[in-house]
Amino acid sequence: MTVLARVRSFLSALLRRRRLEREMEQEWQTHLETRVEALRRSGMSRTEAGRRARIEFGDPLRWKEQGREARGLGWIQDLGADVRYALRQMRRAPAFTLVAVFTLALGIGANTAIFSVANAVMFRPLPYPDAERLVRIWESNLELGRPTASVSQPNFLDWHARTSAFSAFAAASGTTLTTTSDQEAEIVNAERVTADFLSVLGVSPAIGRNFRADETRPGGDVRVAIVGDGFWRRRFASDASVLGRQIAFSGVPYTVVGVLPPSFRWATDTVDVLVPLAPSALASRGDRQLDVIGRLKDSVTIERAKDELTGAASALAAQYPESNKGWSVRVAPFYEWLIPAAVRDSLMMLLGTIGVVLIIVCANVANLLIARAAGRQTEFSIRVALGAARWRIIRQLLTESLLLSLGSGVVGVAAALAGTRVLVRYGPASVPRLDETSFDLTVFAFALVVSATTAVAFGMVPALHVARQPQAATLQAAGRGATGSGRQRARSILTVVEVALSVVLLIGAGLLLRSVSRLQQVDPGFDAATTMVARVALPSVTYPNGQARSAFYERLLTEIRTLPGIVASAASSGVPLAGGNFITEVRIPGQPRAGAQASAGWRLVSPGYFAAMGIPLRGRDFTWRDRESLAPATIISETLAREYWPNEDPIGRTITLGTFGNRARTIIGVAGDVRQVGLDTEPRATVYYSAAEVGALAPMSIVWRSAVDPASHVAAVRDVLRRVDSTVPLYGVQSLDALVAGSFAPRKFNMYLLGSFAAVALVLAAVGLFGVTSYLVSQRTREIGLRLALGADRRDIFQLIVGRGIALTAIGAAIGVGAAFWASRVMQSLLFSVSSTDPRTFLTVPAILVVVALVACYIPARRATKIDPLVALRCE
Amino acid sequence: MTTTTELLQGTLDLLILKAISLRSEHGYGILLRIQQISRETLQIQQGSLYPALYRLEHQGLIASEWGESDNRRKAKFYRLTTAGRRRLQEETAYWKRLADAIGLVLAAAPEDV
Repeated sequence: MTVLARVRSFLSALLRRRRLEREMEQEWQTHLETRVEALRRSGMSRTEAGRRARIEFGDPLRWKEQGREARGLGWIQDLGADVRYALRQMRRAPAFTLVAVFTLALGIGANTAIFSVANAVMFRPLPYPDAERLVRIWESNLELGRPTASVSQPNFLDWHARTSAFSAFAAASGTTLTTTSDQEAEIVNAERVTADFLSVLGVSPAIGRNFRADETRPGGDVRVAIVGDGFWRRRFASDASVLGRQIAFSGVPYTVVGVLPPSFRWATDTVDVLVPLAPSALASRGDRQLDVIGRLKDSVTIERAKDELTGAASALAAQYPESNKGWSVRVAPFYEWLIPAAVRDSLMMLLGTIGVVLIIVCANVANLLIARAAGRQTEFSIRVALGAARWRIIRQLLTESLLLSLGSGVVGVAAALAGTRVLVRYGPASVPRLDETSFDLTVFAFALVVSATTAVAFGMVPALHVARQPQAATLQAAGRGATGSGRQRARSILTVVEVALSVVLLIGAGLLLRSVSRLQQVDPGFDAATTMVARVALPSVTYPNGQARSAFYERLLTEIRTLPGIVASAASSGVPLAGGNFITEVRIPGQPRAGAQASAGWRLVSPGYFAAMGIPLRGRDFTWRDRESLAPATIISETLAREYWPNEDPIGRTITLGTFGNRARTIIGVAGDVRQVGLDTEPRATVYYSAAEVGALAPMSIVWRSAVDPASHVAAVRDVLRRVDSTVPLYGVQSLDALVAGSFAPRKFNMYLLGSFAAVALVLAAVGLFGVTSYLVSQRTREIGLRLALGADRRDIFQLIVGRGIALTAIGAAIGVGAAFWASRVMQSLLFSVSSTDPRTFLTVPAILVVVALVACYIPARRATKIDPLVALRCE
Repeated sequence: MTTTTELLQGTLDLLILKAISLRSEHGYGILLRIQQISRETLQIQQGSLYPALYRLEHQGLIASEWGESDNRRKAKFYRLTTAGRRRLQEETAYWKRLADAIGLVLAAAPEDV
């Protein structure tokens, strides 16, 4: 109870200070008057009584101050005084304040910006309730090089039946549908899902209902749809009575039964519509297309789920060896799947980097403060001599540091707001949840903590310094200017630290730079210049089979080729670097090695694909008349050819490929290797199917190569498409150059960021070095003057000063290189084709430092040579 | 004659609590009462009374309200709260125990040691 009373009294004292003061004065007035009366009654004169009463009362100012302290206001008073004093000090040294604020704002701002991104991407919990219970499940076959493969329908059903670890178990399969609105065909991102899908995620439709079990069973009525919030707003104008309305997707009418909440995300993407998926036990067990997710029961660990699934997979492998032999299971928590290790590694590296920059910033500001403290030494000594407690002075210094830090923090956060927007805009598209970056309470709290910590970090150094000085000696010595040695050592150490840390960052940036440059030298295997790519999706109603689709593409591509300026055009199931990497099994008759399970990536391409993409081809290309051919054909990549026919020509040989009928095919051509998955991945064995023969897929990519700027033909191509079939949309248009550049984007982004931070660190270190050297010169003015007077050459003086600076740099660089050996090992996963101890980088960076050090020391050294010995020796 | 500077802060508090335990008083009156109770041996620098009063009020041991003094002047009157009364009892008991203990020590004959 007393605590509450105290707090209340404190608050009232704080807020009604003036009134309380008046009350005190009133009270004491009465007291004095009463005393005066009493004294007068005993015979004193009025003046005498008044004087006597006041003496007896004591000093009212002192009682007021004690009264304020008694109400708990003591520390606030002191704090107020400290703050006002600190502000005055800062106003008196504008240059120092500006530099310190700028440096601190840079450090705090950069940290806050990177943290806000890391917070949104990595630290924020997933948008599902109890997200730790969610797992993603794949089929896995390491021998075939498929660690995370989709799941086949019968396998999914069997797993569900044979495990008990999950409270909900569901499958999804992404697909692209089309819909027409106002005569324009539009692409719809759809997911086919089983009934349990939303239960696994823990999400309920905002309007309407989930799919029923009978709707996701083979033979059930699957023409129901749950639309996403964005789609509902766009197409149905947020109509609340949307339930029961019909909408046609890819020509098929669906009834809307639900609307998803606006916050719904599937794998960090928004979904336009959910339609039912009815997995069938009769589907091919080797046809793997489902994404499987599960929610663990409350008491179940992920290990147990893994064990159960692995057991089920083994049983199935024994039961169905043709399709399941060698196939196991991989399970991962949702978080690991959604935020891949590459992203996490990058962000952690950035956080580490920016932390290092902050340390350098603190060191720099501490350096500045030490230099300033030299000038204030007299002030402190006088204060101590007048009776100030030493800790009071320390508190004063810490208040100044805190004020400086918090003020810079505000500026830094403002800068971070702008900086974060740039980061989000230019950040690579592959970073999940990047667009959710925002400045919420966590970020502000982080900024506050960082500001306070930096204040303590750099404020401690001069404060401790003050605490340790023997005061009497200081007063004398301050007059002689010879107390510099301890200070000098502290500043030198700080500079060495700064140089070391800059070296670490520069080496990191250098390694990334070399990675990117190596990556840019990689031959992708195709010619990306003057070629555009776009996606086309055919509705199944009007194009019910592969042949119908293939006829469509033949017509479309022929029309496109007639456009003026277009040199070649083709279609493919997917262009390189754009996903769509499907795998098929490969069996080569007569090759014992290939008797074991071998695999290759496959593409389904139209005739003319290799010419359009600039991929070298020997042998012959597919033609549109392949559909009439009796011998199904295939084109293989060089890697596959080298692996199985190292000394002979594979053209004319047969090879059996699993997809599209598991037939033996004649090899009619060998194409150059293409880096399908990524420029940093070795080209894989690839086989090409002819779209003319097996039929085209519903969504395909079309490419067209022109003599001049291919983007100028986009409108013309759209017109052609509309002429051929107006219900088919063209989407995802981009140039191949952009696609290739986009594959660099994550690495380049990292490189730019790390490079910028390293550059900042270098500048700070150079500034620190400059400061320390200048200080050295000013401290040793007398000594230099003496040397000059005794006949030293000015060049010797120059070399002396510069030599000192280089020595500091060399020590710092050596430490930095040592630290970088260790630190760069951590970075290895982010590097491409560059060793983490790459000698060129490790030698170049210290050389850069030495050059920078020379520049930084030049001016102070020159000033040293200009010292007039007479002046130096005479005055202080 | 003991002056305030020789008195421990706690002692002054105790005296104040005692002084107003019988009847609420204003500052000057408390001063007189203390001098009275201590039979003129305790003289307090008068102004120092007030910070002590404010501290006790901040701790919730006494409460104040404005009133009119005998000589018809506006004055703040202080009275004991329940908490204050309890504190007075505790402190008094403590002092008694202390005094007894010291008395025992001082009365010990050399043979008892």
